[in-house]
Amino acid sequence: MKLKINLKHIARPAKIFMTVFILLIAVLILQGIILEAEQMSAYKKRRSAETKSKAELTQQEKRLDRIKNSVKEFLPDGTIHLIYKPKHIAGRRGEFETEQIYDVNDNLLWEGPQIERPYEYLSWAGRLHGKDSFTYHRVDFTLQRLKQIQTITPVFSQNIEVPVRSGDKTRQIWRYHPGRDVFVGYHFKGEKIGYAGSTGFTDSKSKTKPFGKFRVFNAWCPEDSTSPTLLWQTQRRIFQINFEKQNVELIFESIDADIRTIGLNAWVDPVPGTKEYFDRDKYRPLIHCLTEDNKHHLIMRNPQQRLTFSIPEDWKDWIGSGCGFTATKQNIYLLRNWIEFRAPPDYFQDEELHEQWRRDYQSKPKTRWVELYKMDNQGGLELLNRYDWTLPPPPSVPVVKARDPRPAVKRYVSQISPPFYDYVLRLLGRKFWSWALDYQNRGDFFYSLARMVLDIRPYGGVINRVLSALMIGFAFLHGWSRRTSWPKFVFWLVFVGIFNLAGLLTYLALNHTAVIKCPICGKRRGLAQVDCVRCQAELPAPERGKLDLIFST
Amino acid sequence: MRFSTLLRKELRECLPWLLLAAIVFLAVGGFVLHLEPYDENYNYRYSRISPCDILSCYDLTYYPILQVTGPWLLLSSIGLGLVLGVRHFWIPHFTRTWPFLLHRSANRQTILAAKLTAASIAFIISLGTLWFGFYWYACRPEVFAVPQTLRVFIEGWIFIMLGFVVYLGTALSALSTANWYTTKIFGLLLATVIIVTTLSQWTLAGIFTAIAVGVAVLLSQIFDTFLRREF
Repeated sequence: MKLKINLKHIARPAKIFMTVFILLIAVLILQGIILEAEQMSAYKKRRSAETKSKAELTQQEKRLDRIKNSVKEFLPDGTIHLIYKPKHIAGRRGEFETEQIYDVNDNLLWEGPQIERPYEYLSWAGRLHGKDSFTYHRVDFTLQRLKQIQTITPVFSQNIEVPVRSGDKTRQIWRYHPGRDVFVGYHFKGEKIGYAGSTGFTDSKSKTKPFGKFRVFNAWCPEDSTSPTLLWQTQRRIFQINFEKQNVELIFESIDADIRTIGLNAWVDPVPGTKEYFDRDKYRPLIHCLTEDNKHHLIMRNPQQRLTFSIPEDWKDWIGSGCGFTATKQNIYLLRNWIEFRAPPDYFQDEELHEQWRRDYQSKPKTRWVELYKMDNQGGLELLNRYDWTLPPPPSVPVVKARDPRPAVKRYVSQISPPFYDYVLRLLGRKFWSWALDYQNRGDFFYSLARMVLDIRPYGGVINRVLSALMIGFAFLHGWSRRTSWPKFVFWLVFVGIFNLAGLLTYLALNHTAVIKCPICGKRRGLAQVDCVRCQAELPAPERGKLDLIFST
Repeated sequence: MRFSTLLRKELRECLPWLLLAAIVFLAVGGFVLHLEPYDENYNYRYSRISPCDILSCYDLTYYPILQVTGPWLLLSSIGLGLVLGVRHFWIPHFTRTWPFLLHRSANRQTILAAKLTAASIAFIISLGTLWFGFYWYACRPEVFAVPQTLRVFIEGWIFIMLGFVVYLGTALSALSTANWYTTKIFGLLLATVIIVTTLSQWTLAGIFTAIAVGVAVLLSQIFDTFLRREF
């Protein structure tokens, strides 16, 4: 009996949790279906509108459109060229039939296939991240990808294995152990060979020091080998690991701050003629490393050189500030891309101000700049050339004046979302959401859940509050005659208010009972309570029949 | 004594399904594992690598050799959970045998505990031991040069636990007195949500938390419903 009573206190909340959780997911799925359907139809409309509007552009608008979509490249002497690629090769993404090269005065200098281009522009350190325009190396393996391959699937999770080969045969396999941050090597005859860590290759587990928290790596084969070499970046260090020669080289270590991004230029040995190839006679191998304290570290070879550079303070006030670096045999260059528009205020400190900034950004034209600097060996900058063009506000994006900046359909659909999402957002605070929505966690269930909650929260909308009030009213009318106790009754009203539609459905699922007319006071009463809530009369007993022997004795 | 008698009775009922799951997993899993030319795969996989190549980020990732058995383990586990849940909690409804089982000298807790223990033993015997056997086989250096990681072994056990979650979800749905179009199937829906949650996470801590929360929510309701409801 005692177990029954104790269990009731656990089982009842568990039942409410399970029901509301499933109904919240059901409401989310419903909202998702509506939004996806709307997005698909809006995309079709936008595509047809864009096709029409491109045909209707004036000569000047076409020119501006071309400038906006052109790649701005620099010759080593600082001359700027605009490269426009008008037409894709059908079915081959990222490849174009021809390209047109213009000078800054909009004179067409050359037109033809890219492979026959008569100019050789500066190439920049490609960032190992795959997120911005400097990315040439789309072969990097990030922490996010490591997490993705660790996701448990019906065929289990994956791991990183590096082969050591001789001829056509794989002789050794070096497997990465994410928990210990070391590699363990196995010979193909079955025995363990050793370990690789930050201190190098050892034959004993105890002597191996971990590399540190993994961030990104990329792999290539040297000129004379088919065994991959890795450039391995951890939280604060960069290693080059050659498994064939059993050599771990520490390339860079940041003492003061974590490494944010790294980029490579002419560091690896690609085949001449491929996209990644850089002429070693013209370029010096370079690793560009940006640390969290906003310092740029350049590690160069031939000859060995290291340079640390902090961007000027006033550069940080503008948005789109991207810096690219390259080192030729003669000079070190810096490429700066930025937009003449002030950086936004912190979203979590002042949401209103941030939204105002967003609306301004959407509605106002902006000037975009690209600048080339020459760097001296102390990090001093000399401006060689610059170019600017105007970005008009996108015509297809409407300027939203409401407090909630999302598109209209999303705003309306989110009105049936629980206000609970808004409370959770405020309650958990910035730190939690920054952690939960860390880009590296993409693909994880909780990331997707957090993203959906943020995306579909009601923003304290008036319609949402009115709907909540209506649902509370409905629950009140439904529950009044069925109530068994006041605390329970009030709890359910609050619950419906907090969870909106999902709350109302949960309430109905767990509390709906048939009602009868009380034979004493004539009011409606639920069957879940023995006593009438108004006159305290008990439920009527069934009338005794003539054959009811048990009750009559 | 009463518990062990009940446990034997429940195990007798589990036996055909337990054997079926074990045979399916052993036969199909063993067959595909035996066919896997893993060492040759290693040479083939890297045969396209040549000097000066820049490797794509997924060229160096690998699935364990036991991957061929993974879907079979998961399906057998979920299937066993579903069948045992129906056998233990739904069939007595259809055959109207609940009163015969409940009107014994054993109390309801003992009866429910016997059913849950029988199901747990069924999972451990039929799938757990086989999984252990497969893992041991795949770790032998004379069979496959590179041994399996411990994580793969744990992931196999996670699949088995998911089967138990499905068993609990089925049990709750069977015991619920609600209509099928209201909350009756919510037990099974919660089990489905837990499977989806588990199969889209990369941390073992997150996976175990999801399973633990799911098991706690389902078990508490199963006990409460079973002890209270009339059959």
